[in-house]
Amino acid sequence: MVGMTLSLSSTAPRMSRAWVVLEASGAAAVCGITWLAWSLSGRGYFWPRWVWFGVATALTAEFLVRTVLGVRPGRRRWLASGRAASGLLAAVDVVVWLLSGGGFFWPMFIIVPLAGAVGAHTWIVGRLPNEREEELTERVGTLARSRQVALDGQAAELKRVERDLHDGTQARIVSLALTLGMAEDVIHKDPQAAARLLGEARSTASGALDDLRAVMQRIHPAVLSDRGLVPAVRALALDLALPVTVTGEFPPGLPPPVQSALYFAIAECLANVVKHSHATVAGVTFGADGSDLTVVVSDDGVGGADLTRGTGMRGIIHRLETVDARLDVASPRGGPTRATITLPATGSARSGTTEGVEREQ
Amino acid sequence: MTQPRVVLAEDLTLLRDGLVRLFSDHGFDVVAAVENGPTLVRELLALRPDVAVVDVRLPPSYTDEGLRAALAARRQIPGLPVLVLSQYVEQLYARELLADGQGGIGYLLKDRVSNIGQFMEAVHRVAAGGTALDQTVVAKLLGSRRRPLERLSPREREVLAHMAQGRSNAAIAAAMVVTDKAVGKHITSIFTKLDLQPSEDDNRRVLAVLAYLEG
Repeated sequence: MVGMTLSLSSTAPRMSRAWVVLEASGAAAVCGITWLAWSLSGRGYFWPRWVWFGVATALTAEFLVRTVLGVRPGRRRWLASGRAASGLLAAVDVVVWLLSGGGFFWPMFIIVPLAGAVGAHTWIVGRLPNEREEELTERVGTLARSRQVALDGQAAELKRVERDLHDGTQARIVSLALTLGMAEDVIHKDPQAAARLLGEARSTASGALDDLRAVMQRIHPAVLSDRGLVPAVRALALDLALPVTVTGEFPPGLPPPVQSALYFAIAECLANVVKHSHATVAGVTFGADGSDLTVVVSDDGVGGADLTRGTGMRGIIHRLETVDARLDVASPRGGPTRATITLPATGSARSGTTEGVEREQ
Repeated sequence: MTQPRVVLAEDLTLLRDGLVRLFSDHGFDVVAAVENGPTLVRELLALRPDVAVVDVRLPPSYTDEGLRAALAARRQIPGLPVLVLSQYVEQLYARELLADGQGGIGYLLKDRVSNIGQFMEAVHRVAAGGTALDQTVVAKLLGSRRRPLERLSPREREVLAHMAQGRSNAAIAAAMVVTDKAVGKHITSIFTKLDLQPSEDDNRRVLAVLAYLEG
């Protein structure tokens, strides 16, 4: 039982080297002095063993207390302290029994009930909601991963926006300035050429605006902020080359990042339907599965969709993870395909936010 | 001839002043230039202008406030001519604007203002109860519908796209560099192929085409 306690010692608070030296030399001194006193006093009954036993017990107790304090507070620490105390008591009894000359093994009256109690305690702690702990551990893992991915994704997205603005909008505005400069140059000498250049400048300005619009649309579609998720998906569906039926509703008040992640996930799913599925119709259904919110994107296509194919889909899955949503795709060869996005009621995106409270009203 | 009365709604001062100048220079009487949705509704109902030119995004919500205000005013004054300007166009919004079937609707990208001739023509068309839809919206309407547009020849589809934007026969003829008569022929053929009732009235004709495209 002491061995079980010792196995936890890796997390024990570290003792300073000076303290260890002081303690060890103190203990050695006490042991030495008692031995010296015993030898000088005629070497009768070897009583120093009781002093030594006392010193050893105190040192062990100190070690055990430190070990127990190293365990994370809560259920596990109670178990560790129970084990440590029982182990120490049992060991003390056995040593006392040995030092007092053996004979009938009376410590068993203490050790057996203690072992029973510690065993029961261990069993209970082992049985008790370990699931919760696993769930939390898993969640911490997911959070750490999704945070990293979110950061990477954000950096990549910013880079892409920067490149789009640089290659598209900025280039056009430079060319616009150039054209205007040329028009200015010739306006008195050749008004007709100037008029032509001005016309060119106007169409370049329009092109720059088109580019800018495309970039803005990719960052955050305006209709999403105007109307919310479901109408934005309706607007998206209208623009697609195949009939898409949008049904169901979502409770209002989902936080904007969640709406945005869901919107882009649905958009990517629909884009895949258009590109790969050979479907004739598709549907987007907003609904609920118990207290979880779900979006199902379905089609009557050929199936065989593979989530790992294409970086777009991977990015979408990671983005969903950052708002605690997940994507499951059922796509047997021959079809049909059903992509289900689930937003759990317990997810951080939906609980503990003011929006979440509004939603419940 | 009396000057047409216009109400402008635009929250950016620079653009609002630009629009006021543009409309004044082109023979309009700018009776009000407002900068938010609630004021717009109030002014439209009080002044009943010949046409309203409205930016979609207005305070206080900075969402589709202008569109909602225009729709609210049209519920009180059916057919009140409204031209909505926007930095982006959505089929969804075009459908909402056209839903009452009253005409007098324009929905254009903001940068179309830069082509002053075409823009003013569109304003006059809307003021006269006609339609001015941005070519981007029309392209989306034509592109996303699964209706039997395949039956039309490429030339006819081109005419249909112009028509859906709200252009008259003469304007279509000028844009496509053909005669009015040729355009008329194409239109008759389109109406036959799409099973639509032909109409002499330009506005009715456009509404029929749009209703058809919206499915």
